[in-house]
Amino acid sequence: MRIKRRDFLKLSAIAGAAALSGCAGSDSGMNALASGKGGGGKIGEGPGEWRPTTCQGCTTWCPAEVFVQDGRAVKVQGNRHSKQNDGKVCPRGHLSLQQVYDPDRLKVPMKRTNPNKGRGVDPMFVPISWDEALNTIADKMMELRNAKEPEKFCLMRGRYTYMRDVIYDVLPKVFGSPNNISHSSTCAEAEKFGSFYTEGYWDYRDYDLSNSKYILIWGCDPVASNRMIPATIKRLGDALDRATVAAVDPRLTTSAAKASEWLPLIPGTDGALALAMAHVILSDGGWNKEFVGDFKDGVNRFKPGRKVNETDFVEKETYGLVKWWNLVVKDMTPQKAAKISGVPADQIIRVAKGMAAAAPNVAVWMGPGAAMQARGAYSAMSVHALAGILGSVDNVGGSLQTAKIPANKLDSDLLKKYQDELAKKHSKLEKIDQRGRLELPVIASGKSGGGVSTNNAPNGILNKDPYEIKVLVGYMNNFVFSSNGTDRWERALSSIPFTVHLTTNASEFTMFADIVLPCSVSMYERYGYIKTKANRYAALSLLQPVIKPVWDVIEDETEFPFLLAEKLKERGFSNLYDCLVEMYSDPETGDKPKTSKEMSVFALKYYTKPLWDGEKDTHGDKINGWQEMLSRGMWNSEAYKYKSHWGGKFATETTKFEFYSETLKKALAGHAEKHKVDIDTVMEKSNYTARGELAFVPHHEPSLRHGSKKDFPLLFIDYKSRLNREGRSQNSPWYYEFKHVDPGDVGGQDTLRIHPVDAAKYGIKDGDKVKITSMGGSGECIARVWEGVRPGTVSKSYGQGHWAYGRTATADFGKSATRGVNNNTIIPWELERLSGSNARNGGHAAVRIEKI
Amino acid sequence: MKQYGMVIDLRKCVGCGACALACKTENNTSLRGNGQTHNWADFIHETTGTFPHTKFRTLPVLCNHCSNAPCVEACPVEPKAMFKTADGITMHNDERCIGCRACQDACPYSMDEVMKDGSSGEYSVISYNQEGEPTQKFFTSKTEVIKKCSSSGAELVSLTKANPPYRHNYNHPDYENVRRDNIVEKCIFCDHRLKNNQQPACVDACPSGARVFGDLNDPGSEAAQLLNKDKGFVLKESEGTLPNVHYIREYSAR
Repeated sequence: MRIKRRDFLKLSAIAGAAALSGCAGSDSGMNALASGKGGGGKIGEGPGEWRPTTCQGCTTWCPAEVFVQDGRAVKVQGNRHSKQNDGKVCPRGHLSLQQVYDPDRLKVPMKRTNPNKGRGVDPMFVPISWDEALNTIADKMMELRNAKEPEKFCLMRGRYTYMRDVIYDVLPKVFGSPNNISHSSTCAEAEKFGSFYTEGYWDYRDYDLSNSKYILIWGCDPVASNRMIPATIKRLGDALDRATVAAVDPRLTTSAAKASEWLPLIPGTDGALALAMAHVILSDGGWNKEFVGDFKDGVNRFKPGRKVNETDFVEKETYGLVKWWNLVVKDMTPQKAAKISGVPADQIIRVAKGMAAAAPNVAVWMGPGAAMQARGAYSAMSVHALAGILGSVDNVGGSLQTAKIPANKLDSDLLKKYQDELAKKHSKLEKIDQRGRLELPVIASGKSGGGVSTNNAPNGILNKDPYEIKVLVGYMNNFVFSSNGTDRWERALSSIPFTVHLTTNASEFTMFADIVLPCSVSMYERYGYIKTKANRYAALSLLQPVIKPVWDVIEDETEFPFLLAEKLKERGFSNLYDCLVEMYSDPETGDKPKTSKEMSVFALKYYTKPLWDGEKDTHGDKINGWQEMLSRGMWNSEAYKYKSHWGGKFATETTKFEFYSETLKKALAGHAEKHKVDIDTVMEKSNYTARGELAFVPHHEPSLRHGSKKDFPLLFIDYKSRLNREGRSQNSPWYYEFKHVDPGDVGGQDTLRIHPVDAAKYGIKDGDKVKITSMGGSGECIARVWEGVRPGTVSKSYGQGHWAYGRTATADFGKSATRGVNNNTIIPWELERLSGSNARNGGHAAVRIEKI
Repeated sequence: MKQYGMVIDLRKCVGCGACALACKTENNTSLRGNGQTHNWADFIHETTGTFPHTKFRTLPVLCNHCSNAPCVEACPVEPKAMFKTADGITMHNDERCIGCRACQDACPYSMDEVMKDGSSGEYSVISYNQEGEPTQKFFTSKTEVIKKCSSSGAELVSLTKANPPYRHNYNHPDYENVRRDNIVEKCIFCDHRLKNNQQPACVDACPSGARVFGDLNDPGSEAAQLLNKDKGFVLKESEGTLPNVHYIREYSAR
């Protein structure tokens, strides 16, 4: 019974007696370990040990350490050897404890007993033995081999470590399927497109924030998500003192809140805004002469609206500046861009001139908001081209590539050795995501069909085109939740006859599975390694089982292929087993792995061996032997050398930084030739408006919109919460407790931020329950009326709206009720076709909001 | 005399939440319930101005360890359960606490019942563990969302022999690492760490280096030196509590 304090105070004379009764009511068992009470034990922490591993809560992939007491993980910090996070993790690291000790984790293999599949249909799972689970999977796979159709096996990969080689390469290729579908295009491939078709780098960039004099953050909030989060958190405050920080984003991010300049552009107008900044810098003579070069006579001929003679300008490290100017930049005045983007012309001019004055020490941080749009390939190039004219590419305070990590690679000769004729032939068939078709160029790294188009896989599956998928294995993925157009995925997964899911929790993908295998939580219970970079250092960091797995789980990337290989061998197909035991024998002793767990360790030793065997200079930390590698948990490179790619060493067609992309021209021409069409047709089929030479330069494209302005008047903005561990932390109570650390958000609810002007227009008050509807779908969330969102837009973070996963993520798991609405149901299915990316930004998701 | 305190550099702080989560993992504070946050470290947020000139800031909040602490004054038991240590920490002794909540009532930084959160400026330094309820209720449930296939909180507790399963064990003569029912709890500057020459967990965990802990009366301490340069501000100065948590510099550069 609760004592009312004021009532009690009147009775303070009996305080002593009350104190006694209070003590008597305590749960002494719960405090048995607090033996220090009354001064008995040593003050301080009980015995324990910090053990190294890696946090995979976001794409930073932080080297981390876990404090272990009595075999339990209890606290998290960064790896103290890390030159990227200096021993600190962001909130995600701490939050991960509620993932490993999630009460809704799967503890045993299970099988579906209800043959009907669909959203909200109870699979009626029952527990089964590991043997039964693996036998069933092996039987289904042997059916494909026996019918000479191994391509009908498909492996889908979500979160991964570099041990992926085993499950993602060796397994499907030796079995005979071309279908290893990664999640990569869900994440940032359009972003990588921007840096590849300018500087020849298909990857995230590193940013030298410690030395920046101007930081332009575009379409991301790097203290909250994207990459190198702890490194950025550490540096932003000092940067605000030393440099100017400007943030381009339609929502008020933390970076935007702290910045000197906030440029809240209209979604999908990034290309115009970037071009206008380029226009100002060039017409003002502010480009970096050392990198870009100059007019022969030193007289600036970049006059608004006027063409320049190409021969008048001599470029140094770049190519095609004048062509670019003549094609698009000359006409994109700040006034014109202001009309398109909603950012005032004087602010565009101020920011552009500010950057020019700080050049070349300018970090132009291009994030997914600028790129992951239906027509985002060219806006990604436009933003990254700013780094080119400022000379900050590969330069002090600018954007950098990476130092090398000398890990071993997959032995592809050995893989080929164990591919039989059927596997050789069928693993080269067209993939289920249809990459490389006319309307889906996916010219990743310059090659038609060179990357993945995750979100087109459901089309291939539904249309059985190029063929039917009969056996699907997914690991640590949840594409039916994490890819926009969730209804399409629901239909596709419902149509597959046999699906296996390797997972920690019963997620939405699991609900379509026939067999489910419980797996380890990556940060705590498995071996693996990752490569990452930040703050000029590349790093290789290990994942290790810092605790004994809480449940009887397996490591998805290594143990599953091994256990499956044993079963396939029993059934007369031994190639996979033979390949694995040869490829992953112990590199020190030559012993072949006898168990799945042994293979995990041997494989890790094989890949990381050059870092600890002392044979060659690693150009980084010196590590003496395997045991030291395990105990340190990571390796740092030397600092990346500035200007590594200057002097004609960019991996582009011209070896220069390209403003007119000969690299893209070649790639598009190659794709057009493959389909016997011209490049204009490729552009048309890929949803782009550019024709002719425009296809080869960074330019502005009008944004694509699903839904009329009349029926869907607002633009929906998706963003990633700083508490999102991918889409997996929504079953953690701490997620809801601290959700308000996302600016404008409110804890304990799925918050939709709406500007007061719009709220008034639609009769919505702060805290109202609202229905949000797009061409893609609808759902319920709670309105937050807030000045930090651009009028005409609404924003909500990705992550909530689970209809499976666990008791906290889902209001009532058994009834498949949701808590909030999944952004990927609201964002209609769409692709950025040149890179194959899921399009989720840029305003194609038009919505209406109604008070419920 | 020592006066431990904290200086929070708002220019460095990005409001990420790492400090508050590190505090929860360090001190095994339970989940929000019965109007109590059990967040010894928390945040409040302020939005001012109108679009596009919107300003926003986050203030990390925790016990101010006031020199003139109303919670101590209000504590009715003798010797007091809420008291000042020689180091200037506002300390809480679990054993002597009778759960009367007079401290919570007296503290201008605490609320009897927190219905909202930092997005509305609501938080509470002092939380109360409901009488007769387990303090880690979340892990007592025996429900399995998929029968016989997924686990339950109770099963995790029985397997790990700890509640919460990630329970961090430490010893201190005044407070326990998991508090019992019918007592209050709050930030104690991680005295169990200070006694071992460690920083409070929130300070250690801050990726931005915004939180500087030290003896404010020692002119040589970093905290005192920061305050020397920038007087900063304290929360609810007019209450006259003389807080020892100070905020310096502006969150935003504009």
